[in-house]
Amino acid sequence: MTRYIIRRILQSIPLLFIISLILFLLLNNIGDPLTMMGGRNPTRPDDRARLARQLGLDKPVTTQYLYWLIGNDWTMIDVDGDGIPDIPGERLGVLRGDFGTSIVTRGKPVSEIIWDRIPNTLLLMVPAQIFILLFGVIVGVYSALRQYSWVDNAVTTLSFVGFSMPIFLIALLSIYFFSVLFQRWGLPNLPANGMFDPRVGKTAGQVAKHMILPLFSIAFIDIARYSRYVRSAMLEVMSQDYIRTAKAKGLKRYYIIFIHAMRNALLPIVTLVGLDLPFLLAGAVVTERIFAWPGMGRLFLDHLQRADGPVVMGIVMILAVFVIFSQILTDIAYAALDPRIRY
Amino acid sequence: MSVLDTPVDAKIPDIGLESPPLSLSEMAWRRFRRHKLAIASSFLLLFLILFTFGGALIYSEADANFNDTTKRLQAPTAEHPFGTDTIGRDILARTIYGGQISILIGLTAVIVQVVVGVIIGAISGYYGGWLDSLLMRITEAILTIPTLFLLLVMAKFFSGKVPDLNFFGRTFSGSVVVIILIIGLTSWPRLARIVRAEFLALKENDFILAARATGTSNTQIMFKHILPNTVAPIVVTATLSVAGAIIFEAYISFLGMGVQPPTATWGNMITGATTYIEYAPWLWFFPGVLILLTVLSINFVGDGLRDALDPRSRPE
Amino acid sequence: MSKRNLFLLLAMILIFSLILAACQTAPPPDPDTPGDVVAPQEPVVDDDPVDDVVIEPEPETPGARKVATFIWTQEFDNLNPLYTNMWFSSITQQIWNASAWNFDIDNNPNPVLVTEIPSLENGGISEDGRTITITLRDDIVWSDNSPITSADFVFTYEMVTSPSNIVTTSYPYSLIEDISAPDAQTVVTVFEEPFVPWAASLWQFVLPEHVLRPVFDADGSIDTADWNLAPTVSAGPFVFAEWESGSYTRFVRNENFYDEPAKIDEVFFRFVPDDASQVAALRTGDGDLGTFISTADIPTLEAAGVEVFAVVSGYDEGWFLYFGEEAHPALADVRVRQAIALCFDRQSINRDLLLGLTEPAVTFWDNTPYANPNLSAWPYDPAAGMALLDEAGWVDEDGNGIREKDGIELTLIHGTTAREIRQDTQAVAQQNLAECGIRLDTLSYAPDIYFQSYGGGGPLPTGELDIGQFSSTEAFPDPDTSRWLCSEIPSDEYPDGINDQKICDEELDALFRLQSTQIDFEERQQTLWQIGEIMYENVYWLGVWQDLDTWAVSSRLSNVNISGASPFYSIAEWDIIE
Repeated sequence: MTRYIIRRILQSIPLLFIISLILFLLLNNIGDPLTMMGGRNPTRPDDRARLARQLGLDKPVTTQYLYWLIGNDWTMIDVDGDGIPDIPGERLGVLRGDFGTSIVTRGKPVSEIIWDRIPNTLLLMVPAQIFILLFGVIVGVYSALRQYSWVDNAVTTLSFVGFSMPIFLIALLSIYFFSVLFQRWGLPNLPANGMFDPRVGKTAGQVAKHMILPLFSIAFIDIARYSRYVRSAMLEVMSQDYIRTAKAKGLKRYYIIFIHAMRNALLPIVTLVGLDLPFLLAGAVVTERIFAWPGMGRLFLDHLQRADGPVVMGIVMILAVFVIFSQILTDIAYAALDPRIRY
Repeated sequence: MSVLDTPVDAKIPDIGLESPPLSLSEMAWRRFRRHKLAIASSFLLLFLILFTFGGALIYSEADANFNDTTKRLQAPTAEHPFGTDTIGRDILARTIYGGQISILIGLTAVIVQVVVGVIIGAISGYYGGWLDSLLMRITEAILTIPTLFLLLVMAKFFSGKVPDLNFFGRTFSGSVVVIILIIGLTSWPRLARIVRAEFLALKENDFILAARATGTSNTQIMFKHILPNTVAPIVVTATLSVAGAIIFEAYISFLGMGVQPPTATWGNMITGATTYIEYAPWLWFFPGVLILLTVLSINFVGDGLRDALDPRSRPE
Repeated sequence: MSKRNLFLLLAMILIFSLILAACQTAPPPDPDTPGDVVAPQEPVVDDDPVDDVVIEPEPETPGARKVATFIWTQEFDNLNPLYTNMWFSSITQQIWNASAWNFDIDNNPNPVLVTEIPSLENGGISEDGRTITITLRDDIVWSDNSPITSADFVFTYEMVTSPSNIVTTSYPYSLIEDISAPDAQTVVTVFEEPFVPWAASLWQFVLPEHVLRPVFDADGSIDTADWNLAPTVSAGPFVFAEWESGSYTRFVRNENFYDEPAKIDEVFFRFVPDDASQVAALRTGDGDLGTFISTADIPTLEAAGVEVFAVVSGYDEGWFLYFGEEAHPALADVRVRQAIALCFDRQSINRDLLLGLTEPAVTFWDNTPYANPNLSAWPYDPAAGMALLDEAGWVDEDGNGIREKDGIELTLIHGTTAREIRQDTQAVAQQNLAECGIRLDTLSYAPDIYFQSYGGGGPLPTGELDIGQFSSTEAFPDPDTSRWLCSEIPSDEYPDGINDQKICDEELDALFRLQSTQIDFEERQQTLWQIGEIMYENVYWLGVWQDLDTWAVSSRLSNVNISGASPFYSIAEWDIIE
């Protein structure tokens, strides 16, 4: 087992290397961050040349990648444009934990910019995942036990609707209904954007209130899907010999369902959560955009639009590490929970 | 090992035991017919295609682009059943032409996906060795980056680099080509893995060994002998991918980085919708619901096809 | 590994993420939580009982604290004026920092840190226009009570021009030949050449030397100084209190302000991602002030009792016609250019899409003294336009609806940035011009791609487009620009040139050079009127609308005056009435 884990971790190193190379090449050509440096005015030619030099954007892509990877503190850089290197570089490179500095928000390291936002995204996504899991299991087990009942059929259909629903549609509909129409009808309505009301301040109650609509939108899409997994897993387990044996032995129904069947049916679901979590984070891009949630997805969009390579690169690399990490964890979990699997 | 192999949905076909021998396609059709929602969805899909492509007979493209700024943001009326947009264009006509582009993007992106996925999967599975390792590492790399992030980065990368194109007397924004390319180029890895697995399983079969012994070329073995045996999972994956491609196009365009006006798509018709959630819900409601219906019916049809063609496989 | 351990591990991961998430809601970190877990917490949050300040009345003041909430659709990138050119950040300078002078509601300079505005009469400007001398007030202090002296100004110059500081722009300081501070209240700057547009660009901010000099000496640069993101020492009526990334920034009243203290206790900037959230906040009264209000939202806001101000900012939206070698041959003919102006219904765009708040821009400098008052916008007159096209030899011979001449069809490529109003304008223009037999193909780009220079492959300077549409003013409220100088035409040798349209008109070039040396206001005004006329007659630039900045202000705020060049020039006088 330990050997398997070490092997997986070692395998992930070239993988991350390939990912970083692909991304760096792409991000090098997504636009020119210096163009927007002038705000509402065009960037002045002399400023453009100076900034390119100071930010190292005039270097060839390979050099820029090298600096990004291992830093430039081992070499001298030219800051005043006379062609003679003046001062040693200060970047440490990703391998030493330095993701560089944002081109847009200069003065703040990329890692700090991203860390500021990750808690907000998790605050939305972790409860969402818990809701999805909780309701997914309840609905799934229920519809498995009542196979082909109307509830079961409704869940099957809804799961497809949820699976096919673009998140912006459910988000716009829920805002229109719970925020706009409720207000129009004089009912208590829910806030449609932001994380809290500045008048009241960032209190737990405020944040919870602002979380309802985004949570609902995210959960709507996935609860139905999860319940479908749970349902089929339950159906499969319920037809196994040991359940029949348990029934034959005259064990109580709830005991069979909750102790024997559910435990086994939920094993694959645990691993599903592991694989889904990183993609939930990704789904944040659209959700955070619509609900004005100050998370990582919005950060990504803001900085991508201004061609801020270091920040975009940092976000995607952190996500990639997260994906690989949860894949490894999922594999381990699966092996540990299912005695039939050996590595 | 992955969750994909997890037994989650047990849909074991129970036909064919007592019945007289049936041809493969007859058997598939029988299985497909049993999936009532898939049948219903086929009709819905047919209706949507009629709406978008048949609607072109009633509304010309000029109607879809005709603007009248004095009639902007009008709620649905008999004259404009879906209302008008920010410069007074008829939304019904635009959903018709936008739908054509959305469906076209869905289909062509999947063609790109299938071509790339099949070639890479086939080479990887058939030849094995270092080539397989390399290709699979790249596949894994693309799978590791959350798709929407990769798509947005690529959309930015290609934006403004493809000029407008003229087809059949219509002008297509270059961004349509970009979207087709990037969706195709980010969605092939899953398919490549499926094809590779099939090739790995099939290449040691007796009929392949026999073909090889008679000196058939590798290309011929790959594409004439093995590939036809892997059609079922490819068709199923491709069908479901059309739905995925339509949704992804909508996401990218919604975020303002997809297809650019004047070409309409269901996705970019919703771009500015957040501004009009309240005052002009018809701006986003109709294109949004059309996306939902299209994706939903394709997903049901795909599910039906899976039951029909590839009963051993499970939904992901 | 046993199952028990694994469940434990999974549970711990879940708890870890919950703790991380909880950090944001609960201000004081739990002392029992391991330190490294909560490390990313911003230290500023702890110093100040944030949540309470906003809601609870201060013990010493009767009644509630007066908090003005400003709704911003973009978050500040940086607060140090050296490091930002973002409009949303730059304009906050008047709130918490101070400039030598700012601009009042008529965009006239108004002394702040100086005793008077330099002029020829008072000797502030030398006869040759090269030397500008300012005299500081002797009672001005930073918010920590240390005096503001000429040394701070010289330090500011030093920081802007230091090669180790990655500043957004070194203009106009890079043009300074010599700077000196004869005494604590006097700063003398000598420019290489006569420098006329000084008022709009010189000394628009000043940095506190006593805070930043130690950082510069220690790090060799102030790029990463804490002050950039948390300027706790400043000179304005308010002073920085707190910034939470993605959410808000707070400025509280500067109790050591050298002038009349601000009437409001706190300015709270809330960042929202789009117009819709901004409008929602303003309508429900969650916000007191917002800017860049989309015209579509104005009626709704006004219905909710929010006042909308339209302020001239000098940024007129226009069409930039391309004259490079790759340009469509028709554009070389002035009659075709005039026909475009006559066939494009700009009046409708202003009336319907912009709700009549603006009019078609006539000159590049509309609403300033430099706009030629004798000119009026080209009318919408397709018949006259078509007559001009016929006269120029562009006629539709093959009956396909598009005019042609010598086998070349009159198809022009128009490109702009992916912004709704611009894309809508494209669609309207396309239909208008089609009626005159001109085909307009339209493209739109991400702004950072669209505005790329010739060297970066930008679509306009490389001739990919025949017509570009955007708004740009280089030094508002000063009319100076080098956009139309022959020497600014970009080429492979000079890839950064800013004459994107590649226009080289000898007469225009000479006049532009002349105005940049004219110290006398009226002489300069005459020159610019002449320039305006040449550009109008030749349709080098076709104004589409006067780009006004729209400000939405709630009825709670009183005594609000907003200027185009420095919007918050009078923020200290604003008040809140409940």
